Amino acid sequence: MPSTDLGLDTLPKLLIHNASAIGGRPAMRHKDLGIWQAWTWAQMLEEVRAFSIGLAERGLKRGDKFTIIGNNRPRLYWAMCAGQALGAVPVPVYADAVADEMAFVLAHAEVTLAVVQDQEQVDKIIAVSDRLPHLGQVIYDEPRGLKDYDHSRLIAFEDVQGLGRKKLASDPECLRLWQAGVAVGKGSDLSVILYTSGTTGRSKGVMLTYENTIVSARNANGFDRLDQNEEVIAYLPLAWVGDYIFSYVQSYVAGYCVNCPEAPDTVVQDRREIGTTYAFAPPRVYENILTLTTVRMADAGALKRKVFDFFIAVAARWGQKILDGEKVPLRARLLYGIGNLLVYGPLMNQFGLSRVRVAYTAGEAIGPEIFRFWRGIGLNLKQLYGQTEASVYVTAQPDGEIYSDTVGKASPDVEVKISDNGEVLYRSPGVFAGYYKDPDKTAEVLTPDGWVHTGDAGFFDPKSGQLKIIDRAKDVGRLSDGTVFAPKYIENKLKFYPNIREAVAVGASRDFVCAMINIDLTSVGSWAERNNVVYGSYQELAANPQVYDMIARHIDEVNRSLAEEEVMAGAQIRRFLILHKELDPDDGELTRTQKLRRGHIIDRYGPLVEAFYNGAATAEISTEVTFEDGHKGVIAARLAIRDMQAYPARTAKLERAA
Amino acid sequence: MRAPSSREAALGEALLAVEDVSLAFGGVQALTGVSFDIRKGEIRAIIGPNGAGKTSMLNVINGFYQPQSGRITFKGKERASMRPYAAAEGGIARTFQNLALFRGMTTLDNILAGRALKMRRGFFWQLIRYGPALREEVEHRQRVEEIIDFLEIAAIRKIPVGRLPYGLQKRVELGRALAMEPDLLLLDEPMAGMNLEEKEDMSRFILDVNQQYGTTIALIEHDMGVVMDLSDRVVVLDYGRKIADASPDDVKSDKNVIRAYLGEPHGVSV
Amino acid sequence: MDILHQVFIDPFVQMGMAPDLLVQTLWDGLVGGVLYALIALGFVLIFKASGVFNFAQGIMVVFAALTLVGLNEQGVPAFVALGLTVVVMFMLAFGVERLVLRPLVNQSDIILFMATFGITYFLIGFGQLVFGGNPKVMIAQQLYLPSGAIEFKGLGGFVSLQKIDIAAVIIASVMVAVLAVFFQRTRIGRALRAVADSHQAALSVGISLEQIWVIVWFAAGIVALATGIMWGARSEVSFSLQIIALKALPVLILGGLTSIPGAIVGGLIIGIGEKLVEFYWGPLLGGGIESWFAYVIALGFLVFRPQGLFGERLIERI
Repeated sequence: MPSTDLGLDTLPKLLIHNASAIGGRPAMRHKDLGIWQAWTWAQMLEEVRAFSIGLAERGLKRGDKFTIIGNNRPRLYWAMCAGQALGAVPVPVYADAVADEMAFVLAHAEVTLAVVQDQEQVDKIIAVSDRLPHLGQVIYDEPRGLKDYDHSRLIAFEDVQGLGRKKLASDPECLRLWQAGVAVGKGSDLSVILYTSGTTGRSKGVMLTYENTIVSARNANGFDRLDQNEEVIAYLPLAWVGDYIFSYVQSYVAGYCVNCPEAPDTVVQDRREIGTTYAFAPPRVYENILTLTTVRMADAGALKRKVFDFFIAVAARWGQKILDGEKVPLRARLLYGIGNLLVYGPLMNQFGLSRVRVAYTAGEAIGPEIFRFWRGIGLNLKQLYGQTEASVYVTAQPDGEIYSDTVGKASPDVEVKISDNGEVLYRSPGVFAGYYKDPDKTAEVLTPDGWVHTGDAGFFDPKSGQLKIIDRAKDVGRLSDGTVFAPKYIENKLKFYPNIREAVAVGASRDFVCAMINIDLTSVGSWAERNNVVYGSYQELAANPQVYDMIARHIDEVNRSLAEEEVMAGAQIRRFLILHKELDPDDGELTRTQKLRRGHIIDRYGPLVEAFYNGAATAEISTEVTFEDGHKGVIAARLAIRDMQAYPARTAKLERAA
Repeated sequence: MRAPSSREAALGEALLAVEDVSLAFGGVQALTGVSFDIRKGEIRAIIGPNGAGKTSMLNVINGFYQPQSGRITFKGKERASMRPYAAAEGGIARTFQNLALFRGMTTLDNILAGRALKMRRGFFWQLIRYGPALREEVEHRQRVEEIIDFLEIAAIRKIPVGRLPYGLQKRVELGRALAMEPDLLLLDEPMAGMNLEEKEDMSRFILDVNQQYGTTIALIEHDMGVVMDLSDRVVVLDYGRKIADASPDDVKSDKNVIRAYLGEPHGVSV
Repeated sequence: MDILHQVFIDPFVQMGMAPDLLVQTLWDGLVGGVLYALIALGFVLIFKASGVFNFAQGIMVVFAALTLVGLNEQGVPAFVALGLTVVVMFMLAFGVERLVLRPLVNQSDIILFMATFGITYFLIGFGQLVFGGNPKVMIAQQLYLPSGAIEFKGLGGFVSLQKIDIAAVIIASVMVAVLAVFFQRTRIGRALRAVADSHQAALSVGISLEQIWVIVWFAAGIVALATGIMWGARSEVSFSLQIIALKALPVLILGGLTSIPGAIVGGLIIGIGEKLVEFYWGPLLGGGIESWFAYVIALGFLVFRPQGLFGERLIERI
């Protein structure tokens, strides 16, 4: 198995090693035109090398920054390694970034070359090219629609590879020079700059060295015993650190195969065809599948529903114990086995999860019922907690110690401590080298002795020894009477309901807490269909009084639950409204990874916040929105505000973990 | 919008011309003396109020109806009427206003059906999967996959078409027509019943087909915005007669056309 | 109580006590079922491709058998006669398409159905004219179809399998397999499915409806020929053979009018079911079950599941 001891301290070196040590094994697959095409490590090396030499021919040199923009396609991954082989640094950008965001990153990072997927990305670059003085040329993967474009700075991926292969064939020194170039690279070199979509302010470019990522990857592989036999499907954004680590670095280190789906909407089918063994998805995805299943079950015949409900109950009761390897009565095992045959097995198969050994989730809190459901039916779902600045891993849950409300123990080689004011800090070999061209921000976050401020408030749960995250540290505030107000904590409880897609809790320095709610269209839409509630648009459904009633019931339950926690009892929700439109990254309300941009939202929806606290029964709001194609419009609405009852505080029994 | 002069130059000779075509059935005079042509490489819109005879016109072109009088000239060959088989063989493909898909078959099979005419090897060879027959099958399958990729319908490849939502069904029908590798593509209200996003997608596909494959397109359409954006020239029918035949801009401001759609103007400028 | 015992317990006890009889019954049922399935297949083929319920399928079976035997009687060697009969069936298909289907192309289904009545009586008359009305013997030997039986000792007694029956099952299975492959894999098979689905769409893709119809009637004719040979070998070749076609109706209702696997499964269910019920429950019900069992089952299906086990649910949207 490769390790840095063998001097394989950069990704190109790992590639060359894999091509000779396990050259015949599949490295990457892509479903194209209906069939899975595969490349072995040896073949992938050839492709990457050809492109790399071609890039050199086109002028890319050590220290240059280049960008990758697109969906998960093999050539884009190859481009990353190809550039790194020359000592250049990739700066990937989210494929669905609006031209504006993209322009900021490319200009800030002084990118000189772009490798993009298709016409859509090319058009975006052209649209802002006047803001990108450094950008010299653009290389594209899919030629569709680009036939008549001006090709003075535009060139096809294959053509660049063609240049590389020609040079290799004609110049005997070429190969040796290239290999020498790779050998010059070392672990402490800058390997990638990943811009984090900041929840506040502009994005920052996190600089990670090879060592950061490779050591983290090696530890992660060891933690979950991932080896060259794993099958992983790459569907999360290329520009996100998670995908960079799972679908690229970890793959190179362990030697496992990464599969690229045919299209974003075929991911589930493709996952099923491949039989992936390791999965990662944000909690939302696991939620959505559950919602989808519940909705479908509601439409199924009575017999099916009864069978489903019965066996899901069996799973809820015994499933986790069986998964954790605990002793379980024979009768229960038998029932579970039947359930597996009839319900859990087919369900997991439907979503391509049958062979998954380890399924991680992270990024936000996951509802306990969802967690219980998945673990119950046999999916080894666990949580991890991490940041781009950590090369992902800060804490992770080891097998057998899984709880729904914690995020795990410190990952291998990672130290975690809690500061006096409750903030979580960590130190590890994966800690980033700094923010690109931003020493001030770097100093704010990275202490001189290598500890990183996560900006999250948390504590170690005495019972399990695992970390629990409460909220963003600076968001943990207080109400006017001093009660602790952790908005994320409240919002998470709300979002555990399938009907509630997103929630924003407001109340810092105020007298009481209020909430703005986004309903989930799938779940509420299906309820509407079954109850003959007519609606013509999301806005109409969101304004429906019966929907309000339903949401009010959920909020009431949340209030009851908050009342049981001494610290949180004073933060119950007193008023709420349902927003007329979904919060959207394109409008700057969410980050690209679906996290709330709290400050921005409170600004934008100022009139609503005012209405909350001046006792009004309705509130009017008029917001500017950005449509998918970039053009802007205005949406206006009048929203109803409901009052809720608060419950007196009382202490609850300590909840048994599981 | 399209760059006018280079586009003009790209358009060729008349691929299809109908001359003085009249069609009647069951006491209804569907078409009276209609004449117009469609140039190679152009996108020709046929518009008109309901009942104007637009679908009948398409039916005449691809041979479902035989006109009582008039001539159809296609690829230089003049004839009094067309037969469906001849039209298909000659390179005319068609989509239908109310969809005519093979509802029991999957998306893939539907589009594969469009390759029917292109399959050469006799059925006996196919039965025993003989080499060349197999190769041919693979080739057809590849073409079909390219179309599936082009129309972005990979996710529904194996789903029986009857179960798909309307917008996707229309796309599959377009795919089947494209599988015939037609010289002339007749689209009967391709955007009917679609929302804005679906219309934009469909418009993009139609434009791409025209630009990438050079396919000549005749389309019946009600959405004026689409007509303006996509077409090179427009024919306007009303009660079975042609009342205008010009560029989209000219047609938009033609008095006869306005009157046909809106009735007599009441002194209000449009 | 006694009656319950007789219905629900006794028959199964009997099955258990004499397994050789059970196997014999099952085998006989299987053979019958396979032959029913063959007939039903003929109907399905034509209905699938041209939407016509071919009342003449039964008489086609007789006609094919008669032609074969008749030619042989005239001195034509067996296999040449077989080949010629195939040609005759092709000409029949061609003729039907030209003279009956084409002129009636846009007429309603009921008119086409009546037209098949016409074909039926035409074939009856024509057949009688050419071959005479007397029953004939199938030329099983000349076609090298085996005769005699194989006997197994075992299972507490013995089981006797007629060799001709074995041959019938094998031939029928091969035929079905070939047809299945034909439908799924070849372009003509695809074209057939297309035509079955939507005439308008098929036309617009350039499929020639006429060609397809000839092929389909020809295929049905071949199936009829095989059926005629098999049934004829087991009993005799006469015009009463066409009654068998009536048995195909319950099979079609069970299996769905548009499904080839349905015809097979339906045939097997009816065939085996008939024999089983006759043998084990017959004494209870007074015998003669074979004549009505199939129809009762069919009735049940019509009430509860009209599309059969495999057929398509026709939901007419107005």
